[in-house]
Amino acid sequence: MTTARSDVQRPSTIAEGDELPPFALAVTSTVIVAGAIASRDFMPAHHDRQFAMGQGAPDMFMNIMATNGYVSRFVTDWAGPEAMVRSIKIRLGAPAVPDQPLRFTGHVTQTHREGNEQVVEITIRAANEIGDHATGTVVVALPVEPSG
Amino acid sequence: MTDAPPDELHARLATYIGKPMGPPAVAPDPVNVPMIRHWVDALDDRNPAYLDEDGTATTRFGGIVAPPAMLQTWTMGRPRIEGIAERGGAPDTITVDNPIPVLDAAGYVGTLATNSELEFVRYLRPGDRLHLTMEIDAISTRKTTSLGQGYFLTWVTTYLDANDEVVGRQLFRIFKFDPSTIDPAKLGGAS
Repeated sequence: MTTARSDVQRPSTIAEGDELPPFALAVTSTVIVAGAIASRDFMPAHHDRQFAMGQGAPDMFMNIMATNGYVSRFVTDWAGPEAMVRSIKIRLGAPAVPDQPLRFTGHVTQTHREGNEQVVEITIRAANEIGDHATGTVVVALPVEPSG
Repeated sequence: MTDAPPDELHARLATYIGKPMGPPAVAPDPVNVPMIRHWVDALDDRNPAYLDEDGTATTRFGGIVAPPAMLQTWTMGRPRIEGIAERGGAPDTITVDNPIPVLDAAGYVGTLATNSELEFVRYLRPGDRLHLTMEIDAISTRKTTSLGQGYFLTWVTTYLDANDEVVGRQLFRIFKFDPSTIDPAKLGGAS
């Protein structure tokens, strides 16, 4: 049942400019509702289309906790289970709405050694047909493999 | 985006800087595996650090840790479902003295989240019981944007464990705007 990739990044080979494998999330009403309720966010705009449209949105839309969750997943699917996410800093834009795939792209913008960890900054973008849903940076720390 | 000079409303709003955005809150439940499993399935995040389903928790965390983006989830208030739409999605009736009612009363009733900055000091484990404090960090002067005129409001939530050690923070910024000042030609479908 696991869909996690097994290709864990080797910290010593990560370099600025490295691209993360792009990921397209097929956003549906179910995806939005599942993420909202799993994060205990019962705001009607995240499960009730009429309510959301009454507030001027084009449809029900993804809540911010789920957006952060998908950004985190996008990065750790690449960085592997040893990665510790240190920060997720995003600017929020276009709503993530049903039937518009959310396309995640990212690349390494900075990396440096800090003690026994390699600290890696990834610049990410999640966009749909409306525009940029989330743009920003994620910083992860990976344990450096013992030498020798 | 253009800036207006500080005005009377801004001066009133500025008195809130450094004050609580909301009351301190305690997580209704400690970090727990059922809620982690719910999240993992909902977001289809199969990072083995979050669920040790094969008994092979060999990551450096040495056991199950909660997905970091769940930080805010643990302290979400228990919702009173009846009337939630009428309350604009607020989990329950809250009476707190913060800039939101001041802005609403002045006509800046629109709300748009613009920035979220999460920082994680450590990963959470089942059993961690969180509480939080929320402090108003900044209030802009009046800005004119593609969404019309309004004020940016920024607050910082600090998450602490049972020993009062900080485990994470979240900076959150919203734009409170006056919907009557929107230029529809610039909206482009986004809300």
